Amino acid sequence: MTEQQGAGTDGIPAAENQATGPVDPSAGAGKRRGLSRRGFFAGAGAGAVIGALAGGGGTAVALQSDGEDQTAGVDFDRSYPFYTGTHQAGIQTEPQRYCVFMTFDLVADTATDLQVLLARWSAGIAQLMKGQPVGAVAPSRSGAVPPDTGEAYNLGPSSLTITLGLGPGVFDHRFGLSAKKPRLLEPLPTLPSDQLQKAYTGGELSLQACADDPQVAYHAIRNLARMGRGVVNTRWTVMGFGRASAGKGQTTPRNLMGFKDGTRNVKEAADFDDHVWVGDGDVAWMRGGSYQVARKIQMNIEIWDSADLSTQQQTFGRTKDAGAPLSGTTEFDTPNFTAKSGGDYDIPLKSHIALAAHENNGGVKILRRSYNYTDGISRFGQLDAGLLFIAYMKDPDYFVRLQRKLGGSDLLNEYIGHIGSGVFAVPPAPKVGHYLAEALFS
Amino acid sequence: MSPSLHRIGRLAAVALSAAALSAGVAGCSGGSSTDEVKSSGATAGGVSRVAITLAAGGSGDTCSVDHDSVPAGPVTFTITNRSSTAITEVELLSQQKIIGEKENLAPGLKPVSFTVTLGGGQYQIYCPGGSPETVRFTVTGKAAASPTGGAQQLLVDGTKEYSTYVAGQVSGMVTAVEKLQRDVDAGDLEAAKRQYGVARPFYEHIESDVEGFVLPGHNATDNSGNLDYLIDMRASNLDPAVGWHGFHAVERDLWQRGKITASTRKLAAELTTNVKKLAELSKTLTFKPEDLANGAAGLLEEVQANKIKGEEESFSHIDLVDFAANVEGAQQSFAYLRPGLQKIDPALTAQIGKRFDSTRSMLDEYRDPEAIGGYRAYTAALRSADANKLSQNVQALQDSLARLAEKVATA
Repeated sequence: MTEQQGAGTDGIPAAENQATGPVDPSAGAGKRRGLSRRGFFAGAGAGAVIGALAGGGGTAVALQSDGEDQTAGVDFDRSYPFYTGTHQAGIQTEPQRYCVFMTFDLVADTATDLQVLLARWSAGIAQLMKGQPVGAVAPSRSGAVPPDTGEAYNLGPSSLTITLGLGPGVFDHRFGLSAKKPRLLEPLPTLPSDQLQKAYTGGELSLQACADDPQVAYHAIRNLARMGRGVVNTRWTVMGFGRASAGKGQTTPRNLMGFKDGTRNVKEAADFDDHVWVGDGDVAWMRGGSYQVARKIQMNIEIWDSADLSTQQQTFGRTKDAGAPLSGTTEFDTPNFTAKSGGDYDIPLKSHIALAAHENNGGVKILRRSYNYTDGISRFGQLDAGLLFIAYMKDPDYFVRLQRKLGGSDLLNEYIGHIGSGVFAVPPAPKVGHYLAEALFS
Repeated sequence: MSPSLHRIGRLAAVALSAAALSAGVAGCSGGSSTDEVKSSGATAGGVSRVAITLAAGGSGDTCSVDHDSVPAGPVTFTITNRSSTAITEVELLSQQKIIGEKENLAPGLKPVSFTVTLGGGQYQIYCPGGSPETVRFTVTGKAAASPTGGAQQLLVDGTKEYSTYVAGQVSGMVTAVEKLQRDVDAGDLEAAKRQYGVARPFYEHIESDVEGFVLPGHNATDNSGNLDYLIDMRASNLDPAVGWHGFHAVERDLWQRGKITASTRKLAAELTTNVKKLAELSKTLTFKPEDLANGAAGLLEEVQANKIKGEEESFSHIDLVDFAANVEGAQQSFAYLRPGLQKIDPALTAQIGKRFDSTRSMLDEYRDPEAIGGYRAYTAALRSADANKLSQNVQALQDSLARLAEKVATA
């Protein structure tokens, strides 16, 4: 056996095998069924649970009872499949409430090391998305190190999706994979308004874990990072909360500036085919995949908070309360970029929605799947927060074109800075018995 | 600086244990055949002689060996540093185990030598900082008998040899702290600082064994009888009832106060006394295989908890010296378990071996023969730039090592 082969059978069993540890197979799901708000409204919750909620939970119920958002209920038992053979989950999937994004650099020497990692991650991801630990939480022998760290034990799948991307570095000289390089995968060019910091930039692999329970998402990333030790080093990470983009059937959420952004996000299947999924024009193994652009966008919160309402609305091109374009009255009114009142455009030409609109960008659309983040307080004593911007598109140049325009003129630039950046090729989902990006090694 | 006096005790112990141990190293009585000895021009009186010469070179200092092959049997390695300032130590390695080594090799000092009995097989002469760093060294003829017996027996054998290693380290530490005390007594601040860097690694190699460092008749929670407390306590964790003693109190005087006072002399003398007590105590220590496995992982925890943050050597900033010593100590614990582990889980054994190699070669990048202890000072700037890389490399190694204890406990 060579050393490389040894890495695959080196006593670290594949996650699927580890799952044979003494873990109650039913333990992952169902323990929180009664807490599902959807179940509660439907009268499906157990009577005891309703009783328990009647005291402490009353306020929460009242706040949710306006009926505005039919999908706001959280079903912690919901799970998405990993082995579909088509698109990876976590792209078209309705955005969950929380996200942990992490990138890694490869420290392995050989393609085999990468291959083994991708196979082990795939098996682990499949397990995690089912709401099950990656191996025993409490091994039968007390001298053993627990394979799964345990903090998501009994929390249920919570709609966890994990989406893997491959950065440009994977296809350099080290692993002999340059012939398989996705045609459009190049590091992003320098863009106007970039304030990139090395500590939040780059990465050769990315993992996006989204779930309705932040602990489930964190657990997934933590255990996958653990599985990769010695093969990958962590590079940068952002924990996102309060989804900041809407999927089909979801109401538009608000970003930390208090605005509805992304009202016109990609939602219909046809738009996914036209703008998000890679078709025949790229290397064969990317068909059904996509490109992921991740940006850490810091907001100058204090400065924004002292801006008057008119300035804020002019910046976005929307009203703050309804989220309506300044040319209309309700959120989903189609913006009219030529409408004028008293000589001025209703929607300023340098407003965020005017610059980003597909009508003004040759029809280009990208899927935005962003989250809010906070890193506490900066060394300058300011609130350190912003947007974990994650977007998917069939050609990374879509993002480049939009950001060249936004970065150059957007009124919003006064209040934000792009401090982190990464671009990744997202392979399609594997079929059962296979693993992510397997075609790279054939 | 005198040549390597402090290593004598350690080398004697290592040579003794090496002779009885592990793949490639013959038993003392196994020796070499007379015919083979006669066929070699490098032998005299049945002992093969190998000269290692260190020299300055245009594209990096060189470490050259006059014979890269000798017959099995006793071999004397003589190291002469003619002009190299980059290479300050030489190790003879077999399966990552240090069979023999010499440190503090500086141009102008007399040649130093060590003798070991070697069985047929492949060895490496490792000259960190040299170009190349590793010279292959072949011993022809009869291989040492492969270790026999079940995994459990091999592991238990390993623990006995490890006890010898610990005793050797402590013995080296006694010599080193005595020299430190002499430098302090002489009021030579620079010499004392240098010697502090020489003495520290001995403790860091074996500090995972501290649970046993409790003086007879003392409760484990009584710091006045806890040699680890008395020798290695940092300012951040002092017990007011016992006060501050040991290496780091001396470190504070030498670097932060920048002067040697009567109090420094008292601390240095007390350190010698306590290290001598440790030398007596270490003779009584015995180990179980899982102690070695846990100890190896524990040394890397030490790296992650204190060294990586620069907390250990907060006055002298020689944290990378301790870091390297913790890694070396962990590697030696692992090496003594290796024959048994090889039977239990060869793939994990190979993986850990590989990760040790990776960590050691990463650390080699930080070597600086001019610096105290032989590694670059771990400054705030270096920490900020490189702590992440260092930490992740060590974490990968530690994750693998953490799984050893279960393997050996259930062998």
